[in-house]
Amino acid sequence: MTKRILVVEDQEDNRRIVRDLLESVGFELKEAATGDAGVRLAETWRPDLILMDIQMPVLDGYAATKLIKSNAELRHIPIIVITSYALSGDEAKAREAGADAYVAKPFSPRQLLAMIRQFLP
Amino acid sequence: MRLRSLLVGLVSRVPARVRTKLLAAFLTMVVLLIVLGAVGLRVLSGVNQQTEELIKLQRKIAAYRQVQHDTTTQLYGVTSALLFSDTRKLDDALRQLNQFGYDLDRLEFVAKDEVDLIAQVRDDYNQFINVMTRVVDMIRSGQVAAAREVQLKQAEPLADRLERLTNQLVNIAEADMVAGIDASEQAYATSQWVVIAFALASVVLALGLGYVISWSLIEPVTEIDARLRQIAAGDFTQRVRVANRDELGALADNVNHTSEQLGRLYQQLETASRHKSEFLANTSHELRTPLNAILGYTELIQDGIYGDVPEKIREILARVQSNGRHLLGLINDVLDLSKIEAGQMTLSIAAYSIKEVVHTVLTAAESLAAEKKLTLKITIADDLPLSQGDERRLTQALLNLVGNAIKFTEAGEVAVHADAADGAFRIAVADTGPGIAADDQQRIFEEFQQVDSSSTRKKGGTGLGLSIAKKIIELHGGRIWVESELGRGSTFRFTLPVRPDLWSGPA
Repeated sequence: MTKRILVVEDQEDNRRIVRDLLESVGFELKEAATGDAGVRLAETWRPDLILMDIQMPVLDGYAATKLIKSNAELRHIPIIVITSYALSGDEAKAREAGADAYVAKPFSPRQLLAMIRQFLP
Repeated sequence: MRLRSLLVGLVSRVPARVRTKLLAAFLTMVVLLIVLGAVGLRVLSGVNQQTEELIKLQRKIAAYRQVQHDTTTQLYGVTSALLFSDTRKLDDALRQLNQFGYDLDRLEFVAKDEVDLIAQVRDDYNQFINVMTRVVDMIRSGQVAAAREVQLKQAEPLADRLERLTNQLVNIAEADMVAGIDASEQAYATSQWVVIAFALASVVLALGLGYVISWSLIEPVTEIDARLRQIAAGDFTQRVRVANRDELGALADNVNHTSEQLGRLYQQLETASRHKSEFLANTSHELRTPLNAILGYTELIQDGIYGDVPEKIREILARVQSNGRHLLGLINDVLDLSKIEAGQMTLSIAAYSIKEVVHTVLTAAESLAAEKKLTLKITIADDLPLSQGDERRLTQALLNLVGNAIKFTEAGEVAVHADAADGAFRIAVADTGPGIAADDQQRIFEEFQQVDSSSTRKKGGTGLGLSIAKKIIELHGGRIWVESELGRGSTFRFTLPVRPDLWSGPA
């Protein structure tokens, strides 16, 4: 069965790159451009993994991650947080919010794929 | 002390110029000198007067003695003349009697005080002369026995009285003389004390005046000096408080005014600098987002996700990617620096192992060194303790140093050494590169300063790595410096205080 990945990212180019990359290796993808849309999709679509950008307007990645991880039915879904250029403390904040892993921008698509493979072999 | 500050404060508050105050002080001292001289002169003239008095007394005594002597001689002369009935001797005696008259005249002139006594003497003397003239006449006329009778009965008692009186005069004069000497001595001692006391008082007054005046000048100067030091250290909030209402008071006002102006300017500068840093940080962020997309797409194309890529285009894509990475590196470094300068780089402090840091850096730098066929050596002392700090930033700092060493070394080795001493880690990165001239050794830690600015492009560095490393190390309370000589390679050394306990970033 095809693994499903939810991409929560407000920037179109980034979504496109991730989509092109992940679809090329056979994942099924859905995208959300805002944090709350991401949370809703996580509830309805039940992905196998979530890629979560941190810097988003209104509901940022930390808040969205917290919301998802506080939901007992969604808690098991691994979340990889994508921070903007590794600011000090971002990693700690991501872990505190409940993220399972984190990738700092600028990430190369290959790096990201390697990280996803750790959770979805 | 309280008196001092009271006096100094009093002088400070006098609304006169420094020049006037100094002039007043000097004039006071001159007046004191003049008064001292006048007192001395008065004392001197007093002594002189005493001496004159004593000389007068001496003359008086001499005159009295003469009178006494003459009286005695007189008596003797007349007596012997009578004994031998010698007319020549009688004439002598009478002449001498006249002489005695002159003595008395002189006496009256010298001794005005003993007028009564001298009048008595003159009375007795006049009687004596009369008696003697009578005696002489009697002898001349042959009445020797009668003359002797008169002499015995009248002249001799008179002579006795005269002698007594003159004796009395001499005694009085001598007593006066003794009293005079005593008085003179006493007067001298008194005036000596007066002069000494006056001189001492003058010295004390002059010293006190000098002290108070100089403190009234020194205090504001020290105050202003301290204030200027604070200003130099960047503290514009304090004010100089000086009581003076002279040039120094004006200077203090000026310093306060300047300080306020400087403070305002400094604040403006700070705001401007913060705006600049914020602008840089925002710009860097905005620049990075599209660049990330470019790099991401490039990688996807390279990986053939969008279809097969001809070899030639693959090569160009590799160049696009390497230039893009360089640009990204520059942007990241600029962001780091502007963050540090805006005071916005917060360290995320946790326990770290310096050994781990060195190993991480070596892993990252290995391929770079291998590409240039350089040996990468490490020596790490055993049992280095754990410390508190931002491991990622420290790794970045060390990586910058090692990366630079590899970049600038064409052949040989790059050696990293780590140990601890005196409560601090000591890390050294030594290379066998071209070395750095002494003049450049400070400059290279500044932004965009490489020894040869043309090498920036050639070597592919941003020129920011060293300043970032320096700032990270300094944020951790450490110090960095370079030891180098042209043609002999360079050794970059830095220290990091070992902080085994939690700390909340640089103080």
